[in-house]
Amino acid sequence: MTYALGYGTNGFANHRIEDAIAVIADLGYTGIALTLDHDHLDPFAADIAARTWKLGAELDRRGLKVVVETGARYLLDPNRKHHPTLVSEDQERRIDFLVRAARIATDLGADCVSFWSGIGPAQTWPRLRDGVAELLDRTDNVLFGLEPEPGMLVETLDDALRLREELGRPDRLRITLDVGHCVAVEPLDAAECVRRAGDLLVNVQLDDMLPGVHEHLEFGDGALDLPATLAALDEIGYTGLAAVELPRHSHAAPDVARRAFIALTAARTPHPWLDDAERAVRETPAAIRTLFPAVSRNLRDATRDDEARVRLIAALADSVTNSATGSATDLGTEVRALYDYGDSAERRAVLRGLDRVGWRIQEVGAAIVKDALRTNDTTLVAAALGGFADTHLDQHSWRHGVLKCLFTGVPLAEVAGLDRRTDDELIRMVRAFADERDAAGREVPADAVDLLRSQV
Amino acid sequence: MRIFDPHIHMTSRTTDDYEAMYAAGVRALVEPAFWLGQPRTNVGSFTDYFDGLIGWERHRAGLFGIRHHCTIALNPKEANDPRCVPVLDVLPRYLAKDGVVAVGEIGFDSMTPEEDYAFARQLELAVEFGLPAMVHTPHRDKAAGTARTLDMVRESGLGTERVVVDHLNETTVRAVADSGAWMGFSIYPDTKMDEQRMVAILREYGTERMLVNSAADWGRSDPLKTLKTGLAMLEAGFTESDVDTVLWRNPVEFFGQSGRLMLDEPVEAAETFEGNSVLRGTPR
Repeated sequence: MTYALGYGTNGFANHRIEDAIAVIADLGYTGIALTLDHDHLDPFAADIAARTWKLGAELDRRGLKVVVETGARYLLDPNRKHHPTLVSEDQERRIDFLVRAARIATDLGADCVSFWSGIGPAQTWPRLRDGVAELLDRTDNVLFGLEPEPGMLVETLDDALRLREELGRPDRLRITLDVGHCVAVEPLDAAECVRRAGDLLVNVQLDDMLPGVHEHLEFGDGALDLPATLAALDEIGYTGLAAVELPRHSHAAPDVARRAFIALTAARTPHPWLDDAERAVRETPAAIRTLFPAVSRNLRDATRDDEARVRLIAALADSVTNSATGSATDLGTEVRALYDYGDSAERRAVLRGLDRVGWRIQEVGAAIVKDALRTNDTTLVAAALGGFADTHLDQHSWRHGVLKCLFTGVPLAEVAGLDRRTDDELIRMVRAFADERDAAGREVPADAVDLLRSQV
Repeated sequence: MRIFDPHIHMTSRTTDDYEAMYAAGVRALVEPAFWLGQPRTNVGSFTDYFDGLIGWERHRAGLFGIRHHCTIALNPKEANDPRCVPVLDVLPRYLAKDGVVAVGEIGFDSMTPEEDYAFARQLELAVEFGLPAMVHTPHRDKAAGTARTLDMVRESGLGTERVVVDHLNETTVRAVADSGAWMGFSIYPDTKMDEQRMVAILREYGTERMLVNSAADWGRSDPLKTLKTGLAMLEAGFTESDVDTVLWRNPVEFFGQSGRLMLDEPVEAAETFEGNSVLRGTPR
């Protein structure tokens, strides 16, 4: 028996809960992480018992696993996000909400109620501890998963384990792990965190992230080693739910959920050649020089070429930086050579690999991205403007990259961080481009029109 | 007649040639890496050339309905230039690529110690990468060069069935036939071999392990010599099946040993390669 793949309903905030469940189940997921919210099973609704019963019946009918998540933003206070929390002076409202959540979890047959601590200074720790104790006192049978959350009082797995120690290791207090958070703030990688949590793991959230940046990303856009992380879940015998956590992607939820499912399925499908190749690169970094070009004919699954090559790059980064003599310079030289000697498929994979390891070789990475942006190859241009470029490419080059997308027909949806990085100068450039097209009587690309409109 | 030209340098040919070759029945070819007439002076010139062989040229051929494969090597002539020899260190990256079906052209030009070294090293690479080898025999002192070549192959541990010794003629074919290696013949307008002499050799030695190529390049040469040899064979009483053996089945069997022939996949005929096109507007 293995774990179930699910999707968090907070990533479907613009869907009715019944519709969200239908879309998620139809994609092949076998569970949901249900975030109680004003529009998704509001725990304060008068007819909550009836609604819960109805939803539970629907989940049963579809054979879906469920966990209850309690991270809704404005459920308790319409003005202050997440407020109050277990570290707040008025923590009572939070405890009351969590007790309601526990009741709903029981009625739904959920695995657990997941919760986090809240943002507060160190001296609020005793209040948090007492609040959790009270929560356990006021409920029975329901398991709770305490989730370390970047920026909160319980930020890391160690913090969560310490709190549990101080409470005398209550059996019902267990761990929720967001594997993206591990990338962002944990000293260990996600697979190692999974192993460390071990039997205490009661709930898993899946997403990608970059080191030091608490932003939930789609798989492949961050630095998470997804295959290794999923393998670690199997290794510890985890049989609960592992649900995708992309709360800021509701606007394109069905597409995002579909892509995530493909990535998860691919990451779970073992491939002996790739496993051997990864091992070879870990042992002898230079092995990547001949394995990287050979991926396609050995894998015989063109949909996995990029992912496989990114795994090899990640293995390279591990082995180079873990070895006694290896350095970031060696990693940069090796990655640059993979790009320079690569055909277009290999170059595209190097660009995608930068999202994973580029933060270690920022100068080399930026040079590679700039080279790709000079080509006429639209697949390279698109791959160049991923997560790495979002974080590390200078604003001037980035703007010109976006403009090149408009010129060459690369959808702006491919550009990571478009909303955040768009500035007045880019708008001026896009407007000038649109005016030029207008003057020539040529069509202005819809993406350009949209971008200009978004700034009005 | 379906034709697989096992040795032709399309980089030096025009799109007219591709059109004529397709019309003649050429559906697949192998382009060996060789020298360019003008000597190279550095490793970068080689890698740019290799990139063209695995990328742009494959794309061009695809546009004309022809599957393009290549071989990769440091050729014997340039193996004598110390500025070029370090390309040996880069070869593994290219030998690992899809559509690279042999190590070649390797062999001798003037039989120098430098050529010895490059030849032996590249035979090792063929063993390491599980690839056949395409061996060029020298223009001068051909018979001695061929004998020496066969010795090198025997020492390398690469089975002779995985080696084609190319540019053979009446004086060199016997030794290669007896060695168990494949025999390559380049049919040229005036030099090397012509169609009639080729037919005579096929009569004497049979069609087994025989490869006929045009070796067309930047010099005076004819990319349709494969077709013309096939026609000469028919005229001389060979069957259609004999012609198919020499012009299709043999090269497929030989290069098939690489496991990297791309004959089953649809011909890739995207309009552009890395955003660049050979088309100059729409044909009228």
